Amino acid sequence: MSKEQEIERKPGVCVPWQEKMKDLPKIRGDADLVKKIWEDNDTWGYVYIWQCLLSF
Amino acid sequence: MSKDTKQLYAQRMKRYTAAMRNEKPDMIPIRPFVAEFTAVYAGFNCQQVTHDYNLAFEAAIKCARDFDWDAVVANMVYVWTGLTEQQGTKYYAVPGIDLDVDTGFQYREPPEEEAFMQPAEYDALIEDPTGFLFNVWLPRVSRDVVAPGEPNTFHNNVAFLKGGIAMLNYFNAFGPQIGRLTNECGTVSAIAGILKAPLDILGDKLRGYVGLCHDLLERPDKVMAACEALMPHLTHVALSGADPDKNVPITIWMHRGCVPFISHEHFKDIYWATLKPIIQEINSHGHQVLFYAEGNWDHHLDSFAELPDGGIIYHVDTGDIFKVHKKLGHKFCLSGGVPNYLLSYGTPDEVRDVCRKIIDGVAKDGGYIMDASAIIQNDAKVENIKAMTDFTREYGAY
Repeated sequence: MSKEQEIERKPGVCVPWQEKMKDLPKIRGDADLVKKIWEDNDTWGYVYIWQCLLSF
Repeated sequence: MSKDTKQLYAQRMKRYTAAMRNEKPDMIPIRPFVAEFTAVYAGFNCQQVTHDYNLAFEAAIKCARDFDWDAVVANMVYVWTGLTEQQGTKYYAVPGIDLDVDTGFQYREPPEEEAFMQPAEYDALIEDPTGFLFNVWLPRVSRDVVAPGEPNTFHNNVAFLKGGIAMLNYFNAFGPQIGRLTNECGTVSAIAGILKAPLDILGDKLRGYVGLCHDLLERPDKVMAACEALMPHLTHVALSGADPDKNVPITIWMHRGCVPFISHEHFKDIYWATLKPIIQEINSHGHQVLFYAEGNWDHHLDSFAELPDGGIIYHVDTGDIFKVHKKLGHKFCLSGGVPNYLLSYGTPDEVRDVCRKIIDGVAKDGGYIMDASAIIQNDAKVENIKAMTDFTREYGAY
């Protein structure tokens, strides 16, 4: 099973924060800020693919 | 916004929302889903309004200014082919490219053996719907996107970039467009948010209708599991686009989930069993759902009647609007029922006659919104749309 297939993607999510964290060094500053900005932008990828399916 | 326009907008919003809640407003609201008709009226062709959304927006504004309509869709020529071309979408026939400039865009369903999802792939969709769409579906529906594991290409990289930017541009343009409808025309933006039933989207964009019919007989458990896997995503997308003020409804575009496209059993056990909970969830957030019941869904009115009063607005296409009113009129607002063929080939007098019959038959106690049966395209005559509008204003006051 590939890495992508092991990931549980909930509605609104492309790459969950838990997965993204594995690619990052230990966060030295505000981890919640990094998480929030990651999730705020990650969800646009989700919007893109589901709108392609439903609206276009 | 001038004081008059502000007042007009408030009056129309009150009228529209009262009817949708199955109440009796001051008069019957008019909410025509005008698509390529707007192009004809504004002096454009289908290529122009499909490929340049700014022209489509202008056409919608011109119609909203000139006709006394309470609510319209900000752009009912909903597929912007500028975007689909950027990501290389294969399944549209585009006016001006694949079609003549005066023909509206068309969806081309592939033959069964070339369906965008194959029967053996149900488990992959069920396991990870979003991953499946990115990794399997998009590469198949796009001329440019390549699947993981295949050699990457320049066209693949730019398709994602340009497609994403194009979608953001398009969606961001709706705010100002709705602002113009409100401030320049006093017209309500009729809907917000999109929903499709799990079984419909499985047929429309993944398995194709013929493939889905085989699956319903040969692997119904997989079909059911796929619909269940799609449910939370379809709910999420619908709610994320909903009107925060909860005035206007999320719209479900209902396609081929009814008899005779599928059996009564498949409707009850799969289509409705996986759609009803979505509607209930949306209702629990305070949003109504507009059932845009394309075709004839009269066999399933008892199922729709299971929903709580006011939970939906039921739009009638080729169903029998008088029968629908008997079954659902005490629970839900109805809309539509004016045949599109009449708007194209009939006379203004014939249009007025049908409008009179509908108003007399279903609208006496409120809870009705005037509209054509289906989306109004470039074959409708302007004089017939005027007749529908003017007659409803004259005869539709309470």
